[in-house]
Amino acid sequence: MMKDTELNRRDVLKSAGALGAAGMAGLAGCSGMGGGGGGGGPVEVLHGWTGGDGATAAEALEEAFNEEYPDTELDMNPIGGGGNQNLDAVVANRLQNDNPPSSFANWPGPNLARYEGVLGDISDLWEETGFTDSHVQEAVDLHQYNGAFRAVPLGSHRLNCLFYNTSVVEEAGVDPDSLNSVSALVDALETVASETDKIPMTHGASGTWTTTQLFGVTLLGSAGYDEYMNFVEGNPSEDAVRSAFESLATILENYINDDAASIGLTESNQNIIEGEAAFIHQGNWAAGAYRNAEDFEYGEDWGFKTFPGTEGMYTLHFDSFLYPSNNPSPESTRTWLEFVGGEAAQVAFNQYKGSIPTRTDVDMSEFGPYLQETAEDFADADERPPNIQHGLGITADQRSSLNDVISSEFSGPYNVDAATQGFVDAVSN
Amino acid sequence: MRDILSSVRQRLRRVARATRTSGDAGHGGEDGTEANGDDPALDDGAVVTDGGTTAGSDGFVDRLNDRFGDDFTESAPFWLPPFLLVGLFVYGAIAWNFVISLTDYQGFIGPDYSDLDFEMYVRAINDSAVIDATVNTFLLVVAFTAVALGFGLLLAILIDRNIRFENTFRTIYLLPMSLSFVVTAQFWLWMYNYNNGVVNIVLGTVGIGPISWIGNSSIVLWAVVFALVWQFSGYTMVVYLAGLRAIPTEHYEAARVDGASTLKMYWRVILPQLKGSTISAAIVLMVFALKAFDFLYSLVSGYRPPNGADILATKMVREAYSTNNWAYASAIAIILFLMALSIIGPYLYYEYKQGNL
Repeated sequence: MMKDTELNRRDVLKSAGALGAAGMAGLAGCSGMGGGGGGGGPVEVLHGWTGGDGATAAEALEEAFNEEYPDTELDMNPIGGGGNQNLDAVVANRLQNDNPPSSFANWPGPNLARYEGVLGDISDLWEETGFTDSHVQEAVDLHQYNGAFRAVPLGSHRLNCLFYNTSVVEEAGVDPDSLNSVSALVDALETVASETDKIPMTHGASGTWTTTQLFGVTLLGSAGYDEYMNFVEGNPSEDAVRSAFESLATILENYINDDAASIGLTESNQNIIEGEAAFIHQGNWAAGAYRNAEDFEYGEDWGFKTFPGTEGMYTLHFDSFLYPSNNPSPESTRTWLEFVGGEAAQVAFNQYKGSIPTRTDVDMSEFGPYLQETAEDFADADERPPNIQHGLGITADQRSSLNDVISSEFSGPYNVDAATQGFVDAVSN
Repeated sequence: MRDILSSVRQRLRRVARATRTSGDAGHGGEDGTEANGDDPALDDGAVVTDGGTTAGSDGFVDRLNDRFGDDFTESAPFWLPPFLLVGLFVYGAIAWNFVISLTDYQGFIGPDYSDLDFEMYVRAINDSAVIDATVNTFLLVVAFTAVALGFGLLLAILIDRNIRFENTFRTIYLLPMSLSFVVTAQFWLWMYNYNNGVVNIVLGTVGIGPISWIGNSSIVLWAVVFALVWQFSGYTMVVYLAGLRAIPTEHYEAARVDGASTLKMYWRVILPQLKGSTISAAIVLMVFALKAFDFLYSLVSGYRPPNGADILATKMVREAYSTNNWAYASAIAIILFLMALSIIGPYLYYEYKQGNL
């Protein structure tokens, strides 16, 4: 009786074999399909905006595209986690396997060097669409690599920002608007420390990038634009770097939260929202969290000050879409990139992302008051220096070296000499 | 009887053939096919005497069967596909990875296989970050394995003392093992928080601390080891418990009758019999320690662990994906592979000696 119903070993093996064969056939089918993309196939776009404002902004972008180009199929693949690390890893694997997406989000500038040899030339697209005239000059410069345009900007965040919780700075009796140098900032932090029991400056250092970024703005604020550009261009002045590290060590040793090492940006930023801390330095993506917080209004509850010493400057950051050569859908990708650099996309995306358009002709009325001010600062800025942690100033290799130095010499205890030496060596030509 | 006869006949036939073809002629397959074409009658004869079991086999197959055992070719459909798949995807990949480590491959323009050298290994030896990561990996493996074994053994012995709620305790201790590294890393990140982490709060009540567990580069590795021990001592406990249950009660009784104290009984009688459990648990733990990448990755949501806790696995991924230095990352991978091999190798040899392989 049992014999009839029981599966015998051979049956199991046979069906396992059949399944395996079917699987192999399926795989072969898939790889076969990859080749037949053609020029006008769907645009596959990879990006890293998976949470919060990023996700909302990406959705708005997708919606705007479908509205404007109903005939072009758009396949947006968000890959989140670890900053952009997971996205970068997926992109790297696909480029390595010669299976590039239509386009992917990344930073332009020297950061493009890491994709040497796999990015296509879209100079004619920039010409045809008039992007060279409608975007700021820095965008035009930084989206070229080896003499050709490789990417199209979507928006820009500002990096030299100092955000504060209004009630905490008032309690301490500090006027943020009067801070115009790094030393004035240090004095203000001291005042907060002595007058209140709040954290003078909140810092999330579970990754090294926040500290590297803070170094960048401290260097810009203490040594000025020219020395900063010397650093970025590979002729750093050791004195300037050392003095920036000295200020940074003073701040990190005395005025940041004790649990900095075990928290990241999100939790650190929460200290501002909850009124536990006075100041935070971040790119203005941090402001997205304020906008989403309940009863936390710009001007009343939180404020913005250009990082002390960097008045009149706008530290640049670009979110851009890169164009891989050997593109699976060249025609549709061009449609996508043309859209990304256009007004509709930049308005749809940036108002939710908390960044501003890189075009100079965009109507800012749909943006909130804070972003309108940012856009004005952007337009009026005397200088727009490139950032160092987000791709525009230095190569990915150099960035990695800087972060190695921060990790080994400047994540407590703070070794100013070794960090200075490490930074100077890392960027020197 | 028939089998022996046929095998003898095959051998004889082969000797005859070998003498027929001159000594320096090709061997193996060539030999077989030639024989097959030459005198099919002989082969047919073999089939007949064998009663049909080796139907369709030729001289080459016979040869394989002789060399590797009677059912070598007959069983091939079962073991050959997995053998080939594993060979290609595991050992083939390792070999390829090694070759890449000899190139200067970086960025996205394919590797140049014409210029192979050990430059990346020289670079690794001179890279203080790699040396630190190697030392950390080694410390992590040794400390974690030793402590997890000791702690697991202690738990197993306590649970084995016929206590009440034995099953409940066993489940409680084993539970962390069922959680993913991603979850436990987040737990411990919160528990290690300087201000409001439970570890510092508990220590604070007895007047210690607060201690910066994650931020202090000389402590963080041990904090990670502790968290991993917490997660894996339950597993060690189960392995030891199985070992303990396999020891006959007579051994305990005999030790008691001879007047051994409890401590002495475990030390002299029970522990020596747990050697097998210890070895198998240690191997699993060490391999897990080498893979602590997941834990560190989740701890900081990135490839760069806190200063003082960088291990080869994180360094490797960082080199590969943050800066696309594929060749260098491959060299680090090979170093990591050799470390794993140096752990697994002796174990396999031991098992082989014991006759278990």
